[in-house]
Amino acid sequence: MDATLERQIATASRSVEEARRLAYHDPSRIGGLVEQISVLADLRQKEGDFRKAESLYREALFRAQESRKNDADLLTGIYSLLAHLYDRWGRMDQAAEFYEKALHISEDSGLGETEKVATIKNNLAMIFKQLREHDKAERYYLEALETFQKLDGEQSARVASVYNNLGVLYYAKLDVDRAQDMHERALTIRQSFNEGQMDPADLSQTFINLAAVYKASGDFQKAEASIDRAKRLRASVNGFHPNPRRSASLLVDKNV
Amino acid sequence: MREILSIHVGQCGNQIADRFWRLVLREHGLTESGTPKAGANIAANANMEVFFHKVREGKYIPRAVLVDLEPGVIARIEGGDMAQLFDESSIVRKIPGAANNWARGYNVEGERIIDQIMNVIDAAVEKTKSLQGFLLTHSIGGGSGSGLGSLILERLRQAYPKKKIFTFSVAPSPVISDSAVEPYNAILTLQRILDNADAAVLLDNEALFRIAKAKLNRSPNYMDLNHIIALIMSSVTASLRFPGKLNTDLGEFVTNLVPFPGNHFLTASFAPMRGPGQEGQVRINFPDVARETFSQDNFTAAIDWQNGVYLSACALFRGDVKAKEVEENMAAIRKTLNFASYVPTGVKLGVADTAPEGFASSGLALVNHTGIAAVFERLIVNFDIMFDNHAYTHWYENAGVSRDMMATARNTIANLAKSYRDAS
Repeated sequence: MDATLERQIATASRSVEEARRLAYHDPSRIGGLVEQISVLADLRQKEGDFRKAESLYREALFRAQESRKNDADLLTGIYSLLAHLYDRWGRMDQAAEFYEKALHISEDSGLGETEKVATIKNNLAMIFKQLREHDKAERYYLEALETFQKLDGEQSARVASVYNNLGVLYYAKLDVDRAQDMHERALTIRQSFNEGQMDPADLSQTFINLAAVYKASGDFQKAEASIDRAKRLRASVNGFHPNPRRSASLLVDKNV
Repeated sequence: MREILSIHVGQCGNQIADRFWRLVLREHGLTESGTPKAGANIAANANMEVFFHKVREGKYIPRAVLVDLEPGVIARIEGGDMAQLFDESSIVRKIPGAANNWARGYNVEGERIIDQIMNVIDAAVEKTKSLQGFLLTHSIGGGSGSGLGSLILERLRQAYPKKKIFTFSVAPSPVISDSAVEPYNAILTLQRILDNADAAVLLDNEALFRIAKAKLNRSPNYMDLNHIIALIMSSVTASLRFPGKLNTDLGEFVTNLVPFPGNHFLTASFAPMRGPGQEGQVRINFPDVARETFSQDNFTAAIDWQNGVYLSACALFRGDVKAKEVEENMAAIRKTLNFASYVPTGVKLGVADTAPEGFASSGLALVNHTGIAAVFERLIVNFDIMFDNHAYTHWYENAGVSRDMMATARNTIANLAKSYRDAS
């Protein structure tokens, strides 16, 4: 195992223990414990020990439910972290269940059209796509898209990501025309970014997705040209991804 | 290092912890707060790391996790002379209790607390270099020790498939009963012990009571009974902690004691039996110790000795005993034990140099006897009377345990009893 990660885990474990001791005598310290537990759980997930990560997140959840029942923001956060974990673990039914719980809590407490809720909707839609519940997936993508458009305007990275995801969904439903429309919208936005904003990996993914769509509609020349663009972009970043995925961040789908 | 992590669950499990850790502290020359006693020679002989985690020079913390759904017993331990001993980060308390209902301990309360327990166990395991296994103490008749204990066993087995799990399980007594639903709780727990533990030492309070009464010449209390259990637990692990002529670890016990998968329910005997606080060493000659160790009325569960045979037996003698003496006496005793025709009449022997404090020498027997079927059959009879009349089952159904689940557990344990009878 990576030595840095190992050190981080050891430190986080000690912090959890210390927080446990404090919370044991003083229940008002449980908030601090929940925080430490989440840090350790993130590291466990990175390490690939999903079982330990699950136990930690679940403890954080139950502790938070006891002591900070009304902190919808915190509970939504833990639910979506758990859902993200189940997603990575391949336990899709549970991932959907926990994203939905997160949604219920945030909607009940009036967090409706926020970045957090839109992110959950996008990620939940991806799960439904994998569970082949395409209608539910489409509905959640469209809701997420609407929120991001309101918050960021049309020309934004997050809107482009949801267009991309919708494109992948339509492609999976064999609706090639709409898939092409979505990917071309994503392309327009992603190409409009200046150097600092542009993510070459995302852009190259859009070209790959578009290539798949062109190929499906029989336009092989365009498909080949797109692949070339994607290859050049990939080569320029040398396989290095400047924006590694963070837990429960906005997930981006790919055409397989 | 072959460390052992002890997990104490529920009221009974923690009362045992109270006696057990007192005893182990004394065996290792430590005070009630985990510091070396003045004049005690620590490093020399004992392998402290098996049961203790050294936090700094002169301070040892038990490798123990204390779990209860009621604060009572743990609060008493914390308020007593061992207040400084246990690490607070490894104590898990939660109210309200399981209300004597296995289903509440297993489902309702258990579900909300099991992750915390597993996180605490994981943290304790990470402090070991080469964990040998777990000792779990609990009662199987109540709510917390039985229901939550079952859940812990299941999760422990999933998380640590290759580690040995030894339970010390206090079974409802045939006569004295704490609550009407004990047979339900016990049968449901036994099914989980069958599926997830490597070995279970069954202890019943009535047998313990009888032993204590006969040996102490006074009316025994729960402390006396738990002291007997503590002596047994301490002896099972003595070989790991003290040097000796014949080392026997948990794995060897299991290999020798379990001839068929699932037939891992054992009973134990400790000799010479004396109460706690009877200070001063009593010197008894070895033949007497050996005889008492294998005396039928000294075993801690109500075994049907008449209609059963020994499947296997282990004996561990501690203290001032000579290997030759052990060999000779055990050869004689072995002839009196009625072994199944298809197993060689061997008794696995262990000898450790250090006797429990207050003893010059002591003996422990762990045996696998087909007469243990009687314990299961008795529970099933009591289970059936209630179950067939739908008595009390609504409490279990309300907490997510269907009558089907209960019937499955009942049939599993009925088959276990039958497998023991068939092995006779």
